[in-house]
Amino acid sequence: MYKLELEKLITTIKQQKAKQVLIQLPDGMKHKAHLVADAVEEETNAKAFIWLGSCYGACDLPLGMDILNIDLVVQWGHNKFNKEMW
Amino acid sequence: MPRLLLLNAEWEGEIKITPKLKAHLKKTKTKSIDLFASTQFAEIGNFLKELKKLKIKVNIQKAKRTNKPLQILGCDCNPDSFEKDLKSDMILYLGDGMFHPKALILAVDRPITIFDPISDNIKVVDRKDMQKELMIKKRNLKKFLNADKIGILVTIKPGQQYFLAAKKLKVDLEKEGKKAYIFIDDTLNPMNYENYPFVQCWVNTACPRIGTDDIVNFSQAMINLRDALDPRRAFVELEK
Repeated sequence: MYKLELEKLITTIKQQKAKQVLIQLPDGMKHKAHLVADAVEEETNAKAFIWLGSCYGACDLPLGMDILNIDLVVQWGHNKFNKEMW
Repeated sequence: MPRLLLLNAEWEGEIKITPKLKAHLKKTKTKSIDLFASTQFAEIGNFLKELKKLKIKVNIQKAKRTNKPLQILGCDCNPDSFEKDLKSDMILYLGDGMFHPKALILAVDRPITIFDPISDNIKVVDRKDMQKELMIKKRNLKKFLNADKIGILVTIKPGQQYFLAAKKLKVDLEKEGKKAYIFIDDTLNPMNYENYPFVQCWVNTACPRIGTDDIVNFSQAMINLRDALDPRRAFVELEK
């Protein structure tokens, strides 16, 4: 029902030569995570990993991914935002 | 640091004025609309053309935290989240779910019309639909003003991290004779708050919806950073 934009994803992974990709989907799209992971591993040389937890917005990015040598985090359903400064 | 790719996950269908929506616009004699959508429903070219044919004026603006006009985020939930007042006959939200419409309800005391392009459902919501949240918010503000020991919550998620603001707030509160303690975590989980019973009120510096929607799910008092910085304004906004 919502576009997975797999073509854009695959192109980006190839362009960036990413080796380990983290897939972060909002709740309503989590049931399609395997489709994304399969596409990544079948169409690129990258390994795909799935974020188990929340995906409330671009403000809710997984932390510590550098420890795991994840070189690309892909989040669906959100775009850039302006962080309010206090 | 890993690189980041954000994908909009647009809805695959076409957003159009269905007979049901057309009838609703006619019934409500709507001549102007303040229009908002989530990023999945931002392709509205034909929808706008159809509204023009119906001679309905459409006002689109960029909310404070969004990156582009039309879109609304859950954190655009304050009266000052918008450049211009929402004065059209109807505030219309395109999308599914209640998360974004609730941001509009919190920001403005007016009915919000939700049109779900997937199900063709139309729903009108207002502050009555958030009565419990707003009542608890008011109660928590009073508890904050009366509290001697405050817990300030800081997340390490970069998009929601306000460590400096938390430290400044601690200094300000301690100038007022209160004691403030800063707690740091990645995901703020209400179960963890109960381990610190000496805290009489929490101040959430992360996502503002934690201090509005989630407060109905736990017994301890919590307010948002914005309200802690100016509790008087928070009371006034609740009465608006």
